[in-house]
Amino acid sequence: MDNHLIEIDNISLLRNEKSILENISFQIKKSKALNLYGLNGSGKTSLLKIIVGMTEPTSGFIKNVSGDEDLFKKTIYIGHKYGTKGNLTVEENLSYALTVNSKNSPLIIKKALETYKMTRQKSMLTKNLSHGQQKKVSLMKTLITNSLLWVIDEPYSALDEESINIFNDTTKEYLKNGGALIMTSHKKIKEPFFTTENYKIYS
Amino acid sequence: MKILNIITKEFLLASRSGYEIFMPIVYFLIIIIFFNISTSYVEKVIMLELLPLMIWISCLLICILNLETIFKEDYDDGTLEMFLIKDDEIELGILIKILSHWLLSNLPIVIVAPLIAMVLGLDTTTTLTLFVTLLIGTPTMSLIGSIAAALTISLRKNKILVSIIVLPLYIPILIFGTSAVNNSFFKMNYSVELTLMLFLFFIFLLITPLACSKALKISLD
Repeated sequence: MDNHLIEIDNISLLRNEKSILENISFQIKKSKALNLYGLNGSGKTSLLKIIVGMTEPTSGFIKNVSGDEDLFKKTIYIGHKYGTKGNLTVEENLSYALTVNSKNSPLIIKKALETYKMTRQKSMLTKNLSHGQQKKVSLMKTLITNSLLWVIDEPYSALDEESINIFNDTTKEYLKNGGALIMTSHKKIKEPFFTTENYKIYS
Repeated sequence: MKILNIITKEFLLASRSGYEIFMPIVYFLIIIIFFNISTSYVEKVIMLELLPLMIWISCLLICILNLETIFKEDYDDGTLEMFLIKDDEIELGILIKILSHWLLSNLPIVIVAPLIAMVLGLDTTTTLTLFVTLLIGTPTMSLIGSIAAALTISLRKNKILVSIIVLPLYIPILIFGTSAVNNSFFKMNYSVELTLMLFLFFIFLLITPLACSKALKISLD
């Protein structure tokens, strides 16, 4: 039980009298990635939104069993909308995303830019970047904030192979250091990039 | 630190958005010019009496003009989601956002309007009253308007709805504001109006952050 962060207990969600999620229970564990997969419209995004507290489930509970009261504040959520300002440069977007400003924040940002190989684009306005590059900017936010849990909706969409590998590597590193990841995808993850559990959602 | 952070971000974004920040002031000038042309047949005394009231109405209209933009961009690009999930001081953040909106789109008018009134021949005391009432009235209108903007944010075209929601709530401010200016013009006492306006301002200063955060959370659901 020690390594459990969040327990999802019997979650159901009704929308317009249509059942979207029914009796879903699982645990989010430390140092593990959890991949929610299912068909389009099976409620993956809704489930993520319930976990981060944006949507209220019709029934069921999300229990914080990590022992850290601020767990949900130390969670980073990256949704379908990238959360980047088109009129800010890549660097500015990252620096405003920092939760704590300290002396070494430029260093942290520089490192994130290097990891995702975006140093050359750092002073470009985000709106002039391609979709994939914008996605990378939003994924970079995971690297610059100190979070206990990453909640990422479709991390692989819009990314090229190289970026997918970068994401896999950073995730591996993050999980090794005691982080946790919950993500959605439309298929099962078979390759052992990192310790993954797959959870299928039926609609 | 955080307050400054949000304000600088909003100002940076506004400066990058091009000529849009000048729109309120251009609109204001257009209204004043048209008003002067159309009332050029009216006697100067009557015109002067109408002038501060006209300025008040134009300020109110301009306030409505870009209300729905307060949270719209943040909603569209997903910044709002992240802000509502993560932040531990949502109410403060909302208040700062409203403040920066007011600074950018209303404060220029609050400063320019009395100057124009003086150029057009309004006496100093009334101009001063006009300035003070606008200084209290426009932030109140921003506060009220942001509740409406937050409530309607998930609608794609929320401009009309925001205006309709806001209209009855703006009437008290308009009444007190114009009444204070009018009283001042006729050298009467207007302290009651100012007190009531201040009262309204503080009430909405208390209500708005809470109402907005709840409304935004509901609309994200």
